[in-house]
Amino acid sequence: MSSTLLAAAGPQPVIPDFGTVSSCVRDNGLFCVDWFTANFSSMFGPALVQHVRLTVIAVGVGFLIAFPLALLAHFRRRLVKPLGGLTSFLYTIPPMALFTLLVPVFGLSVLTAEIALVSYTLMVLFKSSLTGLGEVPEEVRRAGEGMGLTRREVLWRIELPLALPAVISGLRVATVTTISVVEVAAFIIDQGLGSPIIQGLQSPFNTQFIGAGLLAVALALAADGLIVLVGRLLTPWARTRRTV
Amino acid sequence: MRRRTLLTGSLAVAAAAGVSTAAGSVAGTGPVITVGSKQFTESWVMGELYAQILTARGFQVVLKSNIGSADIIDRALRSHQIDLYPEYTGVILQTFAMPKRMPVTAHGTYEAAKRFEEGRGLTLLRPTPFQNRNAVAVRTSDARKHGLRTVGDLRRMGRISYAEYPDNITGPLGYDAVVKAYRLSAMKVRPLNIGLQYPALKNGDVDAADVFTTDPQLRRYDFTVLEDDQAIFGFQNVSPVVRRSLVERYGRRLTEPLDAVNALLTEKAMQALNEAAAMMRLSPAKVADRFLRANDLK
Repeated sequence: MSSTLLAAAGPQPVIPDFGTVSSCVRDNGLFCVDWFTANFSSMFGPALVQHVRLTVIAVGVGFLIAFPLALLAHFRRRLVKPLGGLTSFLYTIPPMALFTLLVPVFGLSVLTAEIALVSYTLMVLFKSSLTGLGEVPEEVRRAGEGMGLTRREVLWRIELPLALPAVISGLRVATVTTISVVEVAAFIIDQGLGSPIIQGLQSPFNTQFIGAGLLAVALALAADGLIVLVGRLLTPWARTRRTV
Repeated sequence: MRRRTLLTGSLAVAAAAGVSTAAGSVAGTGPVITVGSKQFTESWVMGELYAQILTARGFQVVLKSNIGSADIIDRALRSHQIDLYPEYTGVILQTFAMPKRMPVTAHGTYEAAKRFEEGRGLTLLRPTPFQNRNAVAVRTSDARKHGLRTVGDLRRMGRISYAEYPDNITGPLGYDAVVKAYRLSAMKVRPLNIGLQYPALKNGDVDAADVFTTDPQLRRYDFTVLEDDQAIFGFQNVSPVVRRSLVERYGRRLTEPLDAVNALLTEKAMQALNEAAAMMRLSPAKVADRFLRANDLK
């Protein structure tokens, strides 16, 4: 046989005893609590932490880029179309294609993943910020100017506070979207909750899918709730208005 | 286009600043080697075996597992993102070298693959005794009912569907090649990721599937592997693909530990390791660790 040709005079391996597993694991039960808890600290815990880190960096950096761009476009209206077009274009590239295209340039690195993730946050953050800034009624702005506020003061004391609810809803959408795109990032970096799912595809194991999937859903809900909460704290006037 | 360059430039800078703290660190003081592995159990286990033996011999190892598909990991190796990874000798020929005539022995396949890689500044170390070949599997009940023995016998089943992983549909080991070699024009393709073909075949979603001979799932389900009498699947021993400059720099210090591990990987050993990882659900790191310790390599 041809394989023995390559094995000629090779040493014989010792195959270790790998022990036994519960019947749930052996029969691929729907959700094996024993296996989930046994692997939480080595698999799900680190994946969850990585997922949060990848998401926070992507949305944070995305916001630091998109918000100034929205401000710029707010003052230079002719930039609205090109910037909106550029961010929309980035948003339409399929994640898998973008990750693959970036690998030869930036490698199989967190940087590659973050560049792609950031580029997906830009459109939502840019458009929501721009909409928020534009929502201020013209007569409110005029009234401010009439009271002697400079353009900068109008921005800081009227436009930015009034833009906050739109910015926050943009952040909610961007964060929840990023949490799901981070799953795809596991194709190029072995990080995040997509990792256990991708690894599970080769030899499907329900506990691995359901465990990682539920954690991702829980993370999205928790992140969304947290942003809503922070948004309420930042816009106390909105609550006051409702109660009055 | 000035604005656009500015924008992309600031993107990269901002992202780099953001992730600099997230970069992984490695322990030890020896030379740094980055080991890659592909997107399936056997490759993860082999990546862990290589990473752990090199760590035990004083290298600082960074393991990047789950890089796929073959094109992506090959590009990663050639762009210095990784230093070595386990690849199948037949895959190197069938995916990258694409010779007009395929070698007819395992040894010939290895030699041809090595020659090809050396032409690109890479090389192959010693191959494993085991092979993991593609094969066509069917439900044993169908094999009995239709008297299936070879892949060509599938013609008797008429209009059937074939599970194939997405990056192997047009390849020389893929669906197109099977259809052509065995004249199975009535067989339709159903693209499924590696691993999903087993439940699909079991549940009757497909009638035949591209499988790998060392997969433990072949033992879990009641499947029959059909004979490849037209020999289209070639020979698939595994060998580390390494950049030649690294072999020149470290010599036997690098090659000896990898050769030692590879020599132990018989078909029986690899199936046991795959079973521990895929069926008993032990982590590839743990599986590799126990195997190396049992063989006094760690």
